[in-house]
Amino acid sequence: MKNLSFLISLLALIIFSSCNSNSKKLPILGSREPIEKVIDGKTVIDTIYQTIPNFSFINQDSVIINQDSLNNSIYVADFFFTSCPSICPIMSKNMLGIYEKYKGNKEVRFLSHSIDPKHDTVPKLKQYATKLGVMDTQWSFLYGDRDSIYNMAKDGYMSYAKENANIPGGYEHSGYFILVDKEKRIRGAYDGTDKNQVEQLSKDMDILLAEYKATK
Amino acid sequence: MRKLILLVVFFTIAIMTIISACGDENSIKYQRYYADGSQLYKVHCGNCHMDDGKGLAALIPPLTDTTYLRKNREKLACFIVYGLNDTIVVNNIEYQGQMLAEKHLAAIDLAKVLTYITNSYGNQQGIYDVTEVEAYLRNCN
Repeated sequence: MKNLSFLISLLALIIFSSCNSNSKKLPILGSREPIEKVIDGKTVIDTIYQTIPNFSFINQDSVIINQDSLNNSIYVADFFFTSCPSICPIMSKNMLGIYEKYKGNKEVRFLSHSIDPKHDTVPKLKQYATKLGVMDTQWSFLYGDRDSIYNMAKDGYMSYAKENANIPGGYEHSGYFILVDKEKRIRGAYDGTDKNQVEQLSKDMDILLAEYKATK
Repeated sequence: MRKLILLVVFFTIAIMTIISACGDENSIKYQRYYADGSQLYKVHCGNCHMDDGKGLAALIPPLTDTTYLRKNREKLACFIVYGLNDTIVVNNIEYQGQMLAEKHLAAIDLAKVLTYITNSYGNQQGIYDVTEVEAYLRNCN
């Protein structure tokens, strides 16, 4: 099931990104639902897009991060754990590049969810952030109980994370960077281990930010 | 008779090949080690130490500290096989993270990947022979 939804989202991404070349707007990913509304006595059809469900996690400075903390920012989310030996270091490196590009930009945030709450305590996350060179909370490393984080990955970001004793590190997770807009809708998914896709994310973030500039 | 001629031709070619290769036998061995080592590096090391050997900030040490590699030449194979859980100082930065053990790597693969590492990223320390690795492995802590 998780594979199916993943495939669908990937397919959607491919289809949309192919149209994307001549328009300057990013696609809105995820499921959508038409609803009928009555405006001025006329029935019109409106669309409800999939959004990130509410959450409440603690970051490396022990501050609660929820939807309200992200108001008026677009953000990039991913899943990792500090002792991860496989894809995380390269993801952190790629994310670091993007973070440095948008450092200080109040409209851009980064959320890295730890999927190993057993070991990744708040002080451990703080240490990881500091060593990575992240001194503020524009990039927040999030601690939450296991199930909420895993459900968030699955239902919120169309990614996955779970324990697996058979692989090095003991956890597996997708290496995707998910781009979320100010309305909490998913606007892009990028392989965080792939340089080209990370570059695309960087370009798409500019496009997304420009969308908001245009509507202001 | 025909067999004899074939045999003579075979041996002549074999001897000529050996003679012509003799001059740079070491350099051929080095190049083979280095090339195989670069592939092994991608599979076993690159995820953390990165393709450019620069590591990750203060989390994962770079492989560019020639002095460190030279000083610890005898321990490098042990580090890879048994992992590392110590605080080490590389390029004047303290690193405390854990390096996972790669117990499945054979001595010849260790020799190749170490040859690659100690001759890339600004290092130039020559071949890291398999016999050398085998000797060091016997003295791991």
